Amino acid sequence: MTQSRAIDSRRSPRSGRQRFPARGRRPAPAGLAVLLALLVQATGASQAPTADALLRDADRARGGVATGITWTAAVETTEDGVTTARTFLVKARGNDALVEALAPARYKGEIMLFNDRTIWFIKPGLRKPVSISARQRLSGEAANGDIASTNYARDYEGTIVGEEPVGGEPAYRLELKARAKNVTYDRIRYWVSTKRHLGLRAEFLTVGGDLFKTATFDYGNRLRSAAGTFEFVSRMTIRDATGAGTVTSIAFDAPRSETHPVSMFNVNNVVR
Amino acid sequence: MTDGWRLALRNLRRNRRRNGATALGIALGFAGLSILGGYVTRIELFLRTNTVYLQHGGHVAVYHAEGLEKAGARPARYSLTATDQVAIRRALEGDPRVEYSAGYLRGMGLAGNGCRTVPFAALGIDPGVLQRNVRQPDVRRISADFVRPVRGGQLFDYLDVDGAVGLAAGLARLLGKTRTHDDFGGPAAAVVVPDCGSPEATAQIAGDANVQLAALSFDGALAAIDGEVVNVFHTPTTDTEDQTLYTTLSTLQRLYSTDAVTYVAVYLKKWREAEPFARDLEARLRGVGLGVVAYPFTDERVSPYYVGSMTFLQSMVVFIVLLVASVVVLGVMNTGTLTVYERSREIGTFRAVGYTRSQVTGLFLREVTLLSAAGLAGGLALSHAVATGVRLANIRISPPGVPGTLQVVLTPGPAVYLALVALLLPLSILVTWLVVRRRLQERTADLLTATTA
Repeated sequence: MTQSRAIDSRRSPRSGRQRFPARGRRPAPAGLAVLLALLVQATGASQAPTADALLRDADRARGGVATGITWTAAVETTEDGVTTARTFLVKARGNDALVEALAPARYKGEIMLFNDRTIWFIKPGLRKPVSISARQRLSGEAANGDIASTNYARDYEGTIVGEEPVGGEPAYRLELKARAKNVTYDRIRYWVSTKRHLGLRAEFLTVGGDLFKTATFDYGNRLRSAAGTFEFVSRMTIRDATGAGTVTSIAFDAPRSETHPVSMFNVNNVVR
Repeated sequence: MTDGWRLALRNLRRNRRRNGATALGIALGFAGLSILGGYVTRIELFLRTNTVYLQHGGHVAVYHAEGLEKAGARPARYSLTATDQVAIRRALEGDPRVEYSAGYLRGMGLAGNGCRTVPFAALGIDPGVLQRNVRQPDVRRISADFVRPVRGGQLFDYLDVDGAVGLAAGLARLLGKTRTHDDFGGPAAAVVVPDCGSPEATAQIAGDANVQLAALSFDGALAAIDGEVVNVFHTPTTDTEDQTLYTTLSTLQRLYSTDAVTYVAVYLKKWREAEPFARDLEARLRGVGLGVVAYPFTDERVSPYYVGSMTFLQSMVVFIVLLVASVVVLGVMNTGTLTVYERSREIGTFRAVGYTRSQVTGLFLREVTLLSAAGLAGGLALSHAVATGVRLANIRISPPGVPGTLQVVLTPGPAVYLALVALLLPLSILVTWLVVRRRLQERTADLLTATTA
């Protein structure tokens, strides 16, 4: 409801016409035409995607595949002019993901397990896994992983507030508000391509409404699954809007559909 | 005793009740101010000891130029590198004012128990320096209750335990760690909790002394190490009870993959030298091209609690001293005025038989000196009696912002006594001199015929 009203209010001024005739005047034939045109427009508006549908589509192109998906992520972080690089193997299924460090060698075997809203950090030799809750992931790898794995459709209530091109591509601008208190960010501004339904840009805001991080997304990969072939994220660039202005680039390589058993994402199995 | 003093003593006996009341007033004022001074002295020593030795700030702390403000957020950039530490050590070598120095690493992260994590603020300490700090005479005398861990032993007693950590009582409670290393008779096998939501989880979490410390290393990677809880302690202030964690410097450096320290603390032989020493050290270090700042412990930026508390206490003391001293002085002035007026004929007689004004004044000043001395001696005895009584009564208070209780011990000490004597005695003499001087301005004939009773 909110969404269609938002679209309607956005389009009406553009028509530059009075939507209803003035009181006391009979609708003239020309007025009827206008009314018909508005009805057609309203019909068109009802066919516009809902915010939830947009978020679901956009999530799928970032790994939200029900049966399973695997890819390699090369993460490059630049802070104070120093660049560090790490590579991970990512296995995801629905809301869960198992991220295993591949390189550099000293981090090999370290695992981050994204279990719904909890991240577990498991390291060879560490006697117990370390859980990292949503509010504790504001910086570092956990923060990047958190942004990369954000399930917008599940965690946020979206409202389409307008249209705004991103990099020349028409996009819906959505305002997302956290559905639960245990998510990392209370508010996100999200731009989703009007044609492709892919997330193009996201701005993560603090509780006070200040910009905290931004993320942009490229879609150079294609993923074939039982549901068909669709575009898949190839690069995500995350910038800190505060502090040192850290920039992290995550390259998504060789995405492929795979069926992962649910047990793969059970922390007790991973620890063993 | 000269005749003048003997005469003064005899004169004092002439109006025992009034003079006794005046001496009692001086005694009570002196005792009250002594006890207040003793309380403030004790609190200052307690706060200074905590700030310098128990919070490990040292008498002087040397930070990277912007390290105090920024090392928490960007430790890799604003910490002291191994090279910086060598330069600082060189500058301190051979300085006779320095007792010892040590590097400390501060860091933040998450402490976990296998089920949940809690944010921590850790301090990595050289165990040898920790041992020296807790064995300082002032620490043992003033803060013994705070040095002794609530459970377990001192960190330096567990040098053979890999990843030995001490948790503040609040943090231990949040992590559900009710027992320490000693309770298990050595390193216990880590109990993995299969279901953190089960009713048995609490007991399983408490089934070992193992914790995980996770943090972002200096190179930005997520890192974690195992820790073994060897003690649970109270922090000097309550606001840090839920997050403070102490471990060895090497353990914390391993977690953060660094050999840097956040600051170097310098412990001096004489605490009063902290401010000039800090200025001197900073100048010397900047002279060799090191961009550092040396903060004395009296700097609000490094010791806000100490400085804030002392500023408040000093303001309060100044006000009370002014108030009590005024009452005492007015009492002496009142007695002096009555005495001088009552003895106008006597003064006139002295003048008539050839005593000079100075000689007559000297007589009255001897009287007030003896009266004040008696009052001050009585006050000294009274303040000692009260201090002893309070100590024996073992009265304990909960100071604001300090966990646990603190025994009220009043330690006025010679400095406080001397300061009060130096304040009250000259004031009493001064007001008496003013009163006598005014009366002596009058003609001798008027004095001899004055109606005074």
